[in-house]
Amino acid sequence: MTPSTKSGVPVIALTNIEKSFGSNKAVKGISFSINPGEVVGLIGENGAGKSTLLKILTGMYQPDAGSIEVNGKVVKFKNPRDSISAGIGVVHQEQSLFTNLTVAENIAMNSGKGSSASTKFGIYRWSQIYQAAKVTLEAIGSKLDPKAVVNQLGFVDRQMVEIARAVSADAGADGSSLVILDEPTSVLEKHETEVLEKEIRKLKNFGAVIFVSHRLDEIMRNCERILVMRDGELVADRKTSEVTEKQLFKLMIGHDSRAEASSRKSIDSKETAAIEVNSLSRKGKFSNVSFSVHSGRLTAIVGATGSGREELARALFGAEKIDSGSVLLDGKQINNWRIPKAVKSGIGYVPSERKIEGIIGGFTASENLTLTHPGKSALGPFLIPRARKKIAQDWFNALDVRPNDISQELGRFSGGNQQKVVMAKWLNSPELRVLILDHPLRGLDPGAAETVNAEIKRACKEGAAVILLADTLEEALEMGDQVLVMRDGEVTSSYDLAKQNPSTLDLLERMV
Amino acid sequence: MASTANAKSMNRAATGQPTSVVASFIKRNVEVISISASIFVLAIIFSILNPRFASVENLENILNQAGLPLIIAVGATFVILIGSIDLSVEGVMSAAGMTFVLMTANSRGGTDYGFWAYVVAIGLAAALGFFSGVLFTKVKVPSFIVTLGMWYVGLGVATVLFGTDTMPFLTNDDLSTWASQQNLGMPNNFLLGLIVAILGALFLRFTSFGRVTLAVGNNEEIARGNGLKVNRNKVTVFVIAGAISGIAGIVATIQLGAVNPTIAAGNLFIALPAVVIGGTSLAGGKGSMLGTVLGVILLTTLTNGLTLADVSPNFKTAVSGGILILAIVITAWSQRDRLRISK
Repeated sequence: MTPSTKSGVPVIALTNIEKSFGSNKAVKGISFSINPGEVVGLIGENGAGKSTLLKILTGMYQPDAGSIEVNGKVVKFKNPRDSISAGIGVVHQEQSLFTNLTVAENIAMNSGKGSSASTKFGIYRWSQIYQAAKVTLEAIGSKLDPKAVVNQLGFVDRQMVEIARAVSADAGADGSSLVILDEPTSVLEKHETEVLEKEIRKLKNFGAVIFVSHRLDEIMRNCERILVMRDGELVADRKTSEVTEKQLFKLMIGHDSRAEASSRKSIDSKETAAIEVNSLSRKGKFSNVSFSVHSGRLTAIVGATGSGREELARALFGAEKIDSGSVLLDGKQINNWRIPKAVKSGIGYVPSERKIEGIIGGFTASENLTLTHPGKSALGPFLIPRARKKIAQDWFNALDVRPNDISQELGRFSGGNQQKVVMAKWLNSPELRVLILDHPLRGLDPGAAETVNAEIKRACKEGAAVILLADTLEEALEMGDQVLVMRDGEVTSSYDLAKQNPSTLDLLERMV
Repeated sequence: MASTANAKSMNRAATGQPTSVVASFIKRNVEVISISASIFVLAIIFSILNPRFASVENLENILNQAGLPLIIAVGATFVILIGSIDLSVEGVMSAAGMTFVLMTANSRGGTDYGFWAYVVAIGLAAALGFFSGVLFTKVKVPSFIVTLGMWYVGLGVATVLFGTDTMPFLTNDDLSTWASQQNLGMPNNFLLGLIVAILGALFLRFTSFGRVTLAVGNNEEIARGNGLKVNRNKVTVFVIAGAISGIAGIVATIQLGAVNPTIAAGNLFIALPAVVIGGTSLAGGKGSMLGTVLGVILLTTLTNGLTLADVSPNFKTAVSGGILILAIVITAWSQRDRLRISK
């Protein structure tokens, strides 16, 4: 929280930082420096080494080689505590607050000097903790109640607490602080993002900012300088005014954007729908939902939080109870819908809570991939490891999963690559009829998102009926053949994109 | 825009209508209220089944029976708050109890070390807790296994100290009648339990140790990332739990007036469920000492009432087990979550 005093000395300077895990070189000789008051963007695909670099900066990992200087002094971070007391604060991608504690405590818990001022011999002085939190919150322009318990706050408010905690990491009187924002906006809605961006601009006053994001437009808007990482190397360090979004994309991915306009199929009305839903209801979640999706078509469902679309998707997969209404698969009515039955009938479901519901982190990628539909890798109750490896390797090559190592634990892959494996798990079924995708692009970088989208389109082309809960309206309009809009558990309108051409505004009007 | 949104949420929390004040009070204290209600309902049922239940004499009896489990439950609350479990309680109690009796005036003779008997007994218990904590954090053996082993280590220490001689009795009469004597209208052992619980509550609320315990229980990874000393906190928790087990061991010998290695048997069965019924989450991070006190009173009332209701001793064990499961299911019902997996 100290204003920059020595403007000539960089807040942070890295020289030839390297880090390997086994034979995998995650960070290869990175050097850069950041001056006080600068907002620097850091971009790169999943697996480019960004996370590793950030973990080095925050003391979670120790670099194999290279040196770090903070405010002109060489430092060695043995643990997160060292990094925090050097004045480096982080706003994490996945929120890292103690949900059972108050706002004030969460800010004070950032160890170091901040908290010791409000404890004496280990005894808490609550009034001082509340007071200190209030001062910090005011400094970043937030009027949150320091006494509120975090689990009662909404997402944006929580993010403000994270920011307050990050800026409370104090470098002391002789230097500036560094605030690292690790994809703070990846799960925010658009208007929430705007609120947050305003805050980011204020953070300059506290020192320097590293802003990590997958959204290139956001990076261009907020940063003066942009660092691009690819395959563990720093491939570009440019002024924002000197690059375009397209160039950045190319630097990140190593090739141009492949996005192609999707051709839309019209329905053959005589054909039976792959999945037909008739007045499906679940009390308090969704009511009277009817629609059908034909083989080879993609229906995107959009709706705000609480629209009931997530519950609907889960109900179609048998993961949630249905109170009334019916579901027909290929014209056949199904009863007692449960997940095992759904899987057997050729339904696939990619959940939004990837880490909790989508993968078994401790299993290898190949085991995860063949878990549901073993195909040739199982003979009755017996598993055939060699066949499993072949299946997994084929998918890894097809989907360009990185690192290309099928026997690594899936939990250790980056989010985008995990998602590719989750997709492959369902695509491996020869009888895939319906694929339900719950926010498949959540937290993915543009490169991984492109691969996942291409796979979705391919599955569709090969005959699967796809139901997509899109992150954004643009995604829904780009991917869908049909768009359903849900509000408060009901379908408010339906657009056949072969005939109609609704704007995002049209959709938005029916969502809220 | 941020500030207006925040101000709005603040107003909602701060002002609100009078009805919502009551509603939010109930919401915040739902566990305490529901346990209190359960105790009340049970008391009425047992009074109908046997009028003797509501006598002053029996109520004193209940408090006397609750004293020892309460002391243990306070230590267990700390351990469960970090998401671990301490099964070593009974063994540690035996070791401490045996040490205490052999170092104070007893029927086997020997020297009476007075005050030092307490210090050594509690110190030994704390040391056993320390070993559990270090094995748990450094060797990363699950607390369940470490403390299961430490249970038997404690029993072993007690057995060795016991030797092959006769059972040692406390010869100081003031001491052996202390537990059931009354102060402030309560039996001494319950009073001690209450003091330990109040100290525990103060520790949880007003010390860095207490707050870090809650933070570690909520999310250990985040705690590490915030530079908190997670391992030191965990070891401290086990040392405190050990020391409290030591106190419980001493109280147990005083209650019996004598000691044998199995003196603590059966205590864990009331203390651990009482903590959970009191609203402390087995996943850690959430719970209160007040809940623990009420949980202990609830289970003691249950045991006492079943005896008075003339439930055949042959059935009593199974019945109390069944009621226990039911109570825990009811308590944990609100914490169900589709994303939570219990193992």
